[in-house]
Amino acid sequence: MKSCSGKTVPPPPLPLEHPSAMSQPIEHQFNPYSDNGGTILGIAGEDFAVLAGDTRHTTDYSINSRSESKVFDVGDGIVISANGFAADSTALVKRFRNSLKWYHFNENEKRLSLSAAARNIQHLLYGKRFFPYYVHTIIAGLDEEGKGAVYSFDPVGSYEREQCRAGGAAASLIMPFLDNQVNFKNQYVPGTGEKRPITYLSVEEVVKLVRDSFTSATERHIHVGDGLEILIVTKDGVRREYHELKRD
Amino acid sequence: MNHDPYSWGRPSDETYGQYSDAIAHAPSFPKMNTQQPIVTGTSVISMKYNNGVIIAADHLGSYGSLLRFTDIERLFPVGKNTVVGISGDISDMQHIEALLEELETENNYDNSHADDEESLQPSYVFEYLATVMYQRRSKMNPLWNALIVAGVEDSKPFLKYVNLLGVTYSSPTLATGFGAHLAVPLLRRVVDRESDVEKTDMQTATDTILQAMKVLYYRDARSSRKFSMAIIDNDQGLVFNKELEVENMKWNFAKDIKGYGTQKV
Amino acid sequence: MTSVGTGYDLSNSVFSPDGRNFQVEYAAKAVENGATSVGLLCEDGVVLAVEKLVASKLLVKASPQNKGSGANTKIQTVGRHIGCACSGLVPDGRHLVNRAREESQQFKQLYKRDIPPVALADRMGQYVQAHTLYNSVRPFGVAAIFGGVDPETAEPHLYMLEPSGVYWGYRGAATGKGRQSAKAELEKLISSRDDNSPITTLEAVKELARIIYIAHEDNKEKEFEVEISWCSREHTQGKHTLVQGTMLEEALEYAKSKTSNAQDDSDDSDADSDDAMQD
Repeated sequence: MKSCSGKTVPPPPLPLEHPSAMSQPIEHQFNPYSDNGGTILGIAGEDFAVLAGDTRHTTDYSINSRSESKVFDVGDGIVISANGFAADSTALVKRFRNSLKWYHFNENEKRLSLSAAARNIQHLLYGKRFFPYYVHTIIAGLDEEGKGAVYSFDPVGSYEREQCRAGGAAASLIMPFLDNQVNFKNQYVPGTGEKRPITYLSVEEVVKLVRDSFTSATERHIHVGDGLEILIVTKDGVRREYHELKRD
Repeated sequence: MNHDPYSWGRPSDETYGQYSDAIAHAPSFPKMNTQQPIVTGTSVISMKYNNGVIIAADHLGSYGSLLRFTDIERLFPVGKNTVVGISGDISDMQHIEALLEELETENNYDNSHADDEESLQPSYVFEYLATVMYQRRSKMNPLWNALIVAGVEDSKPFLKYVNLLGVTYSSPTLATGFGAHLAVPLLRRVVDRESDVEKTDMQTATDTILQAMKVLYYRDARSSRKFSMAIIDNDQGLVFNKELEVENMKWNFAKDIKGYGTQKV
Repeated sequence: MTSVGTGYDLSNSVFSPDGRNFQVEYAAKAVENGATSVGLLCEDGVVLAVEKLVASKLLVKASPQNKGSGANTKIQTVGRHIGCACSGLVPDGRHLVNRAREESQQFKQLYKRDIPPVALADRMGQYVQAHTLYNSVRPFGVAAIFGGVDPETAEPHLYMLEPSGVYWGYRGAATGKGRQSAKAELEKLISSRDDNSPITTLEAVKELARIIYIAHEDNKEKEFEVEISWCSREHTQGKHTLVQGTMLEEALEYAKSKTSNAQDDSDDSDADSDDAMQD
């Protein structure tokens, strides 16, 4: 090694904790989590709500399945998806289904409102605060007034009602697009400098947005693709749409 | 001096702090759970065809890079129309085998319909195994395996995967471990989507699985030539062949490889 | 009953001055009044049969639709290879079988081998005997016949366990209300055969059906059904299985024809068989 003055100086000594300086046992522990990729997206309209997810299931760079559903119609006009660590997702949805069943047993078949479902899910998640379900959870349906509603949760149960939310691998790709297209962020009425007023979108417009979000996410994210499953909740029930996505 | 008989023979609180049962009765070693597999079995591969499923696994139990046991069966029939294929730690596999035997025995108790209407179906076996695997990982004491449950249920092929984390998924082609990288692309050339299953007959599927087993034997250093293959067919039931070997290998390219072995270039 | 009122019969763990444990004897009485159970050791396996007294016309009947045994099956399985038929208090029998299943599971976990019938009989013997020692429990009101083929040796075994905890190996075992006539029939059946023509399970199914019919004769006013199970090296691959369908129908047919013949015989003053039935 040459210094600026042209004199040869020895390299600096290795720090003591450097592996080659001192061989020390490497602590090794079982990691109970994995990331199974995929992405989900919920949007609420005036009298409907949609919850969509891709059907690709991955670990690392492998595609485990091209056709694994992760958005579920659990009854009472509630659709749910938990994206992240697939085993926790399965466990959470299973527990919520069970909770809903017991609600029907105990409350004489009463329909569970979406807000009550949301609070219930908070308890399921927070109950494992110190060994969390590693998932981003979104539920969608209609509220007590028949208006479209989407609730989203963090892994330990903090939640919020929103107009739209993307979760999972490509959430950061889709969310800004949604801010702009659903909540009209950074949109102005031409010539006036005023913000574009927020209006409800139709189902057709929302489905278009969902499809565009997923085709774009598929282009840019390796853990997203194969198939797109959209569950649409209206007062008439839950409808399912399926569209192919690129499989590369 | 403390005259309370309770504190006789105990270390004094003043010197050692408050008496703790946990410390006084602490075991000599901390409790330990499985942190790594010991003797392991390599890939299990499987695929659906128009009238059932095929699943295969070799007979090797590796101890690190040592080919330790050469006659280990890793496919387990459960009931009449289910086969469970297990890769990963062999002792954990044998524990799962015992669990499956218990499951079958208990399903038979006080059940005069155990061989027909109430026989164990692939989905029941899978749900049971997935629950066990997830519970064990949640106790931070996993069973170090990846399993594939293959079978026929309601005349339709059934194929599903679960591993040490409790992660589950289903696909018309499935493989564990190294096979997920090497075999799955070969299997997907034949069956890529669910609609391809209808177009694939048993012969094509068998050939594809045999081909994949051959490639795995070429390229997976922890694989063996001998393997088992089970076909669960909707009409023929379980066809279990435990005496298979990788055949028709071509090694003529080997003589041209220079520079790796002891030969002079 | 000389023991009543002496106080020595009120509890386990207390002997009477003449060295008896009355509670155990009362338990044996419960067995003597129970429905008849029989078992027969054969060349290639074992066969068990029980008399099922129909306590009410409202109970589900045995029919081909419900596989000949109905919803009210009495004979139970332990592991896959051992059958158990009980006489006496039915719930006590159920509990005993639950315990036997735990023992069988524990044995298999430890040795990765199905429990041999002897080992099961011994473990159950210890369990039942323990219930004669403490005043906090009562003895079991059942006698249990365990039969099965040991998969390791392919040998058939038959044991009968009594409320005292004692168990013996049998060639033919009978217990319950009709045991006297059943035992007599079993003895005749066994002594009629020699080593050159040992009885097979296939024949025994029919013969035990007949014996249950004969054992029921003293109890004629009550309606009854017959339940038969078997464990054969060849026919059931060593697994304990209920006899069902046409095989059961044929056995019952045979039993009916033979017992009506026996009555005809006695009308024709065939004194021998008549005597045998009465002791």
